Amino acid sequence: MLKYAFRRILGMIPMLLLTSIVVFSLAKLMPGDSLSGEIDPRNTNPEYIADMREKLGYNYPLPQQYFRWISGFVEGDFGKSTRFKIQVSEVIGERLPNTILLGLSAILITYILAFFMGSYAGRKPYTLMDNLIGGLNYIGLAIPSFIAGVFAIFFFSFKLGWFPSNGSVDIGVTDGTLEWWLSRFHHVFLPAVVLGLLSTASYTQFLRNDIIENSRKDYVRTARSKGTPERKIYHVHILRNSIIPLITFLGFDIVAIISGAIITETIFTYPGLGQLFLQSVGTRDYPVLMTLTMLFSFLTLIGNLVADVLYGVVDPRIRLD
Amino acid sequence: MEIVTQNNNNMLVTPPKKSLSPFAIARKKFIKNKLAMISLIFLMIVSIVSILAPFITTADITRINIGQMSLEPSAEHWLGTDKAGRDVFTRLLYGGRISLLVGVSCTLFVIALGTLVGSISGYFGGTVDSIFMRFTDFILNFPFLVFVIVLNAILYGKVNGLWVLIGTISMLSWGGIARIVRSKILAEKENEYITAAISIGCSPAKVIMKHLLPNILSTIIVQATITFATMIVAETGLSFLGFGVPQEIPSWGNMLNSANEPDVLQFKLWIWVPPALIITITILSINFIGEGLKDAFNPKSKR
Repeated sequence: MLKYAFRRILGMIPMLLLTSIVVFSLAKLMPGDSLSGEIDPRNTNPEYIADMREKLGYNYPLPQQYFRWISGFVEGDFGKSTRFKIQVSEVIGERLPNTILLGLSAILITYILAFFMGSYAGRKPYTLMDNLIGGLNYIGLAIPSFIAGVFAIFFFSFKLGWFPSNGSVDIGVTDGTLEWWLSRFHHVFLPAVVLGLLSTASYTQFLRNDIIENSRKDYVRTARSKGTPERKIYHVHILRNSIIPLITFLGFDIVAIISGAIITETIFTYPGLGQLFLQSVGTRDYPVLMTLTMLFSFLTLIGNLVADVLYGVVDPRIRLD
Repeated sequence: MEIVTQNNNNMLVTPPKKSLSPFAIARKKFIKNKLAMISLIFLMIVSIVSILAPFITTADITRINIGQMSLEPSAEHWLGTDKAGRDVFTRLLYGGRISLLVGVSCTLFVIALGTLVGSISGYFGGTVDSIFMRFTDFILNFPFLVFVIVLNAILYGKVNGLWVLIGTISMLSWGGIARIVRSKILAEKENEYITAAISIGCSPAKVIMKHLLPNILSTIIVQATITFATMIVAETGLSFLGFGVPQEIPSWGNMLNSANEPDVLQFKLWIWVPPALIITITILSINFIGEGLKDAFNPKSKR
């Protein structure tokens, strides 16, 4: 198993290098100084720009510039934000906890909802409740997250007033207190539900079909013939086998949450990385934009890697090829 | 009496009825599927009404009319007017044109590219396969939304238009189709009729086009339907964020963009609810059609 995981990680390295080259080329194509952010975009004096370009090494050949940038990047030097006038790493560090909280809550909501709906529908297929869950899933799959978000704000924030429609925490609450944490959870709940519902439908459907398939297998018949209670067959024997494949979805969750966060955070004006990403396009804060692009690509790679490795854990046959 | 017997004899002589082709069976099954048929009819109505928009409505969609800003629905403006005084119903029709156009063209590009890469990769195997598949993996590893937005930021001001958007979306989304087509081709090419075709001297292009692709067509059609829904979501989502179809062209996503303003979201429902509903229902109906097609092509399904 370790060998397999190691091989997958090694296989990821060329992908990572290629991705970084693509990001670098895109950054080069951007107007202005999008790699370090040291050149003041408002100072249009050609002498100043030429001077700075010389100092920052923009007159070197491209491969050399790439190596300078990537070695700085690996060491955590992402350049300076042209908008906030501080290091990009600081700007990102400030918002990262918000996005992590949002992502984790979303995953939690997805798994809890999918677990209950899926295991119920799988145990009693083709009943009224199963059809209801199936119908809900259909609608869940069809509603794009931004429409779900807009409707959620309209009903739960404006009409019912249950949840705030923007921000990540109430103003004037002291950091670290219980009140502060409650306020954060209060703020994160609605965006997390919208983000979590994105994958709930497919998880539920997967779990349901897997349970139905498993319930026809020989080991279930054996258990039944021994007189095992029906409840125990479903909760212990089948569920254990059906839950495992769900774990492999965890990797894809990381990927889904990245693009989901961009949309959801923008709708809910939740100060996380997704919102920062779109803002940096709007304000032409290219160093932040490129760092985030690199970060998101990296996370996507990690997500796919996690999915691959987990597949290997669940299904040992995959490890062979 | 005699005539009847003769008729009976004639019927005995006629050769047995030809059994239906797989596609005819699928068509029969699909027509029996009520949900899929209703969805298909709905989608056709939406498309036809959108295509005929210039003949149905007379209101000008581009002119900003300050005198008629944010009017509530009335007999004159069926769905009211938006913040720039433009008729929402008219824009909905014109928006349908753009959103469906983007969806259809992206789907065509994605299917064409994915099928091309997937079939070449699956048919030849070996080095070609591994090079093509590594490239596909590479494309699949890009976070789609992030790169479309970055490309948009680069192209901002230089080239700006519908076809740039269609191009970028298509270039980043064909990977999944390529993988599916490849695996189908890999399974299909093991059949003996392919060996037979190769042995009588068919060129690879002919084997792929004439023998392999028709046999995996059902998969491609189902995938195309799913892709169509995804592409509409992509277009509307990007336009909603302000990175899709240029603002001056009405599309369903651009119309929904105004829901970003709290004032519109809270008090001017007629501006954002119609596009939100039409997007959802369209995607729902495309999904139903996809499910119906999957069911119809599946020889094991009993329906």
